[in-house]
Parts: sequence; C-alpha cells; structure tokens
Amino acid sequence: MLLKTYSLAPALVWHHIGNTARQAIFIILLSMALGIAVNLIRPDSIPFVETWSMADKLAAEGGDTLAITLEDATALFADNAAIFLDARSQAEYDRGHIQDAVNLPWHEVDNYFETVIMTLNPEAMYITYCDGEACLLSHDLAMLLKDLGFTRVKVLVNGWTLWKEHDLPVTTPSS
Amino acid sequence: MPQKKLSYDTTLTLGYHFTRLVMTCVFLYASIDKIIHPDLFAQAVYNYQVLPGYLVNLTALILPWLELLLGTCLLFNRWMAGASALAAMLMALFVGMITFNLARGLDISCGCFSAAPDEGPITALTLARDVLFLIFSLTLAMLVYVRKTRNVMEILEENRGG
Repeated sequence: MLLKTYSLAPALVWHHIGNTARQAIFIILLSMALGIAVNLIRPDSIPFVETWSMADKLAAEGGDTLAITLEDATALFADNAAIFLDARSQAEYDRGHIQDAVNLPWHEVDNYFETVIMTLNPEAMYITYCDGEACLLSHDLAMLLKDLGFTRVKVLVNGWTLWKEHDLPVTTPSS
Repeated sequence: MPQKKLSYDTTLTLGYHFTRLVMTCVFLYASIDKIIHPDLFAQAVYNYQVLPGYLVNLTALILPWLELLLGTCLLFNRWMAGASALAAMLMALFVGMITFNLARGLDISCGCFSAAPDEGPITALTLARDVLFLIFSLTLAMLVYVRKTRNVMEILEENRGG
C-alpha cells in the first residue's frame, strides 16, 4: 500500500508545481493591475515610462542646469579657477580622487560642517562630483551648498570615472 | 509512535506559522512607504542601475503592490504555494541586486523598507538581513510543500489502507 502511495510522488510534485505557477501568475497579474490602476487614479501619479538621465534631472531643477561638461571642468581645473568637492566617502576618496579635490562625504556632511564647509568661500567656484551616472551624492551636496548661499556650484556627473578615463590629474595612494 | 508523529507535526506547524508571520510583516511593512511615495521609490529603483530606463517607473509602480499582495496572502494563509514561492524568488532577487551593487561599490540607499533616499546606504548588514529573510521564505516554501503533500498522502493512505 505504502509503495503504491509513494509511486504517486512525481504526480504530487507536478501537481504542486502547477498549483504554485498558477497562483504565482495570478498574484503577479493582480499586482500589475493594482499598481497601474492606482497610479491612474491617484493625484500624485508618476508617468508609466520616463527617461531617466541625470542631465535631465539636473536641468529640471531651476532654469539653468547644474551640470558642467568635462571640457569646462578641465578648463577651470587647468586655470585653478574652481575647487573640486568629492562627495564620496572618505574611504573612496583615500583610494583616489581628482588632484587637489576636497573630501566632503555627503553621508556624513554634518561632521564636516565646521572643518570644511565653514572654511569655504561662498563666492568661489565649486564643482562637486561622485562616481557613476546615477550617483546623487554630488547633486545633493551641490543643492545643499546652494541653499547655504554658495552662488557658483556645478556638478560634474559621473566625475570620478570620467576624470580617470581621460587621464586627467589624480591623487592616488601610490602617487 | 503516535506521540512521535504528533511532535513532528507540531514542529512543522510552528515553523510554518512562524516563518509565515515573519514574512508577512516583512512584506507588508516593506510595501507601505513605497506605495505612498512612488516617485521616491522610482528614484531608488533607478539608483540600482540594473534596469533599462523605461522599466524603472513600471517596476516602482508594480513591485510594492506585489509585496503588499504577497504579505496579504501570507497573512490570511491563502494561495500559499504561489505566495511562498514568489516570496522566495523576490528575496533571492533582492539579495542578488544588493550583492551586485555592494560588489561594484555603488553608494546607493537600499529602498528596502523606505523609499526615502536618506534611508542610509546599503551595507553588508543589509545583505545579511536580506539573506536571513531569504532563508525564512525558502523554509516557508518548503514547509508549504511538505504540508500539502503530507495531507494528500494521508488521505490516500487512509483510502487505500482502510
């Protein structure tokens, strides 16, 4: 008897898999319907499809764009006309950064208020950067500085990667 | 002999309800803030940099509802086969995404339980927490299977044996 029951095991497994798949598909379809329906009726809905690029985002906030091109940034760098602010963590900064850049980690910005931010001249030109197309640290830092009354702040999107790719001057532990 | 069977059943049942309720809390709690703030959650999804741009908003709109539905199924003990399997797959996906972004050193916020970008960056601790939830949901999926098949076996045995 027992043997007969266990010979049913494969059928039971298939039955369970079929059940699982049906229920899972139903749950997924229901959540798709709910997600889309709620977004259609809620007042603060978001577009279903949106272009996600950092340049657009920087341009959207305030008329003129916060972003600065690599050419402009390198020109300012060559003339020593801008101070570069590295918004990444200290550990990342220590592993390598744009030459003469000042470290101002966004996640610990409170700790750097007196030692760094208070020493900066609000009239000077600043370029914030971090790493990666989508990195928001430099953007958030730039917005904070603007709120604090700094007038000339720009963001070099994907700064660290771009800078390295173009073999521009960096400071690394070995150099 | 019946005593032994009873204690085994009790352990299974306790484990089943414990993992079920833990994952209920995880999914329900995780879904709320994201449903309230789709724009912030879309940003969090975008920051992971794993999806093409046109899928970012759709994911941000649907994923929280999937979490809410899963939490609801787990809470009311309904469609458990599908819900527990989906929960395990979702947790595996989250663990994968976090590992991937920790490995490439992306400084992004988790977007796990709060859509707000100041939730704090993902760390090894975030990963450990999600691995724990993955283990819970895998255990739950397994227990759902064991309980279902045991029920069927018992009925069959009774019918055939009796």
